[in-house]
Amino acid sequence: MSEVLGVALLGAAHTPHAMSYARCFANDPATTLVGVYDSDAELGARVAERFGTTHHTDLGELLDRDGLDAVVVCSATAEHRALVEAAAGRGLHVLCEKPIATTVEDAVAMIDTCERHGVQLHVAFVCRFYPVVARVRDLIESGAIGDVIGMVGGNRGRPPLPPQYPSWITDTALAGGGSLIDHSVHVVDAMRHVTGREVTRVHAEVDDRFWQSGVDDMAALTIEFGGGAVASVDPSWSVPAGHPWSYDFFLRVVGTAGAISIDDTPEALRVSIAGEGMRLVPFGVDIDAEMCAAFAASITAGELQRPCADGVDGLRALEVALAGYESAATGTTVALGADRSR
Amino acid sequence: MVSDLRVGIVGAGYIAGAHAGGYAALPGVEIVAIADPVEAKATALAARVGARPVTSLAELLTLDVDAVSVCTPTPTHSSLVLEALAAGCHVLCEKPIALTLAEADRIVAAADAASTQVMIGHVSRFEPDHRRAQELVAAGRLGQLHMSSQSITSSAPGWSERGWLTDPQLSGGPIVDLAVHSFDYLAWLHRSEPVRVSAFASDTAAGPSTYAVVTLRFADGAIGTVETSWAHPPAHGLQVVTEVAGSAGRLDWTYSGVSLGSLVTSDGAVTHLDPLGSRGFRAEIAAFVAAIRDNTAVPVPPAAGRAALRTALAALESVRLGCPIDLVQERAA
Repeated sequence: MSEVLGVALLGAAHTPHAMSYARCFANDPATTLVGVYDSDAELGARVAERFGTTHHTDLGELLDRDGLDAVVVCSATAEHRALVEAAAGRGLHVLCEKPIATTVEDAVAMIDTCERHGVQLHVAFVCRFYPVVARVRDLIESGAIGDVIGMVGGNRGRPPLPPQYPSWITDTALAGGGSLIDHSVHVVDAMRHVTGREVTRVHAEVDDRFWQSGVDDMAALTIEFGGGAVASVDPSWSVPAGHPWSYDFFLRVVGTAGAISIDDTPEALRVSIAGEGMRLVPFGVDIDAEMCAAFAASITAGELQRPCADGVDGLRALEVALAGYESAATGTTVALGADRSR
Repeated sequence: MVSDLRVGIVGAGYIAGAHAGGYAALPGVEIVAIADPVEAKATALAARVGARPVTSLAELLTLDVDAVSVCTPTPTHSSLVLEALAAGCHVLCEKPIALTLAEADRIVAAADAASTQVMIGHVSRFEPDHRRAQELVAAGRLGQLHMSSQSITSSAPGWSERGWLTDPQLSGGPIVDLAVHSFDYLAWLHRSEPVRVSAFASDTAAGPSTYAVVTLRFADGAIGTVETSWAHPPAHGLQVVTEVAGSAGRLDWTYSGVSLGSLVTSDGAVTHLDPLGSRGFRAEIAAFVAAIRDNTAVPVPPAAGRAALRTALAALESVRLGCPIDLVQERAA
């Protein structure tokens, strides 16, 4: 392994995130962006050109290049598995966009394959990299609020519709669903991360009343965690155009001895431009850059560095999202964890 | 102004004080008597508002009153409301309307049969913040409502007589006593009642199911969520977070966010300057009095109080059974 880690981007269909991660790996002196693969030549070329690297429409050709240590996978969710397994087969470490997959079967196969080839599998749960989330985890770990009793969290946003977003995100076959799977995984992962607890039961109400995009755009998940804590999660694409913020992330936690409340929206300037209304312009840390740097540091260290999320973390959050869809389809509460193979 | 409305208050606790303040602020309204079996409490509140302390509703009803506020522990509501109605009084009954649907039904039926009116004290509808949000929704500014959520969290209430409020047998706990505010308010916003209720709860030092998250599916297809808690530390105070999203827009507000300012003293204490104060109770009492004087329908009829209780009881049932509860749609509240 050379001193500077070579990272390739496999799949750019999750375009805003692909662009952001490519920027992070290109800018970090510890990493270099070796190349970009996408079966869509135009998209691959666009991303590669932006960061002064080469693009490939032949996956094997990119994976055979010298100086490659790791990949970041940003394809459509249903295509994660093929790319992750191809990279793992070449001994390359993987950072995979969330959600990890659209099915439990795919997620388990990805975890197994990476394990078999001795490579790290990270899942891009960027919310872990908010310094205030680390603070919450430390506070809970230190017993500052006693035993966790309940949580409410949300990750709401604008609908990921063209032209800013590719059309596959609102295609159930490729994305696994809509807002529920797209956003709940961030919040559920953050709840697992700060409490160290696992989800035991899920109820969800799911609907598609906001955007007529063909997939669910609103949901409310009610969740029970082992140890008795209960939680509510709002993953909805319920933010209208012109709102002061486009996406938020908030978490409230109450324990037997205290309560914590965090929200990422106040870490911003309030900016009014004549005729455009008021917008919040964030000045928080670049969590994508923090995550990409921690991925590189984990590879150098030979093991996952805190607070990186691994494949099992990706699987657990996916299980909750899929249980949410099952609950909505059946009108029942869905139990989790009894028949896990991993 | 000569008094044209003689009112009495049953109960002399914390909420009775808020009602008394509301009546006292209205010209032409005389608070005739305060009834409470705990004489010291009746005497103290009566002295504050220049009323006569009595020990029972029966005694109060001999004093020629036109209207009665029922501010007593929840299990006593239905019999007191019926007693006041039988004496020909208008009644403002504190929320929740009752602890059981059977008792709520007795109030609804008695009110329907009476020539005087019964209003349920869902004060949220009169708080300036809640009211302004409802006005925007009702004016269609948010388009068709799709989602709403309300969180009301606090520590266990410590003010009630012999702690009845923290006894789940007497108050129903926060799902019935506190979240009922949100169940009423969200149904009022959506102009729709829940058809499915799913609740998960935690047992805490404050008692069984004293922290809960509840998901509602309204008859019109919208989704609501409610967080309720008596499990927060006392310094948390009473926190309210409300969000409403529709096809054309979104609104939200929080109690901490609407604090107008703060007082910091050298002992380290911070006091937030509360812009809401008693404005909700003042407006609620004023609306009740106006309905009596104008002989118009009260803004929160017993059927609305019953509907909110029904949602709360379904949430308790959902916790008990560990599954969502489907509700057959009744007539709109």
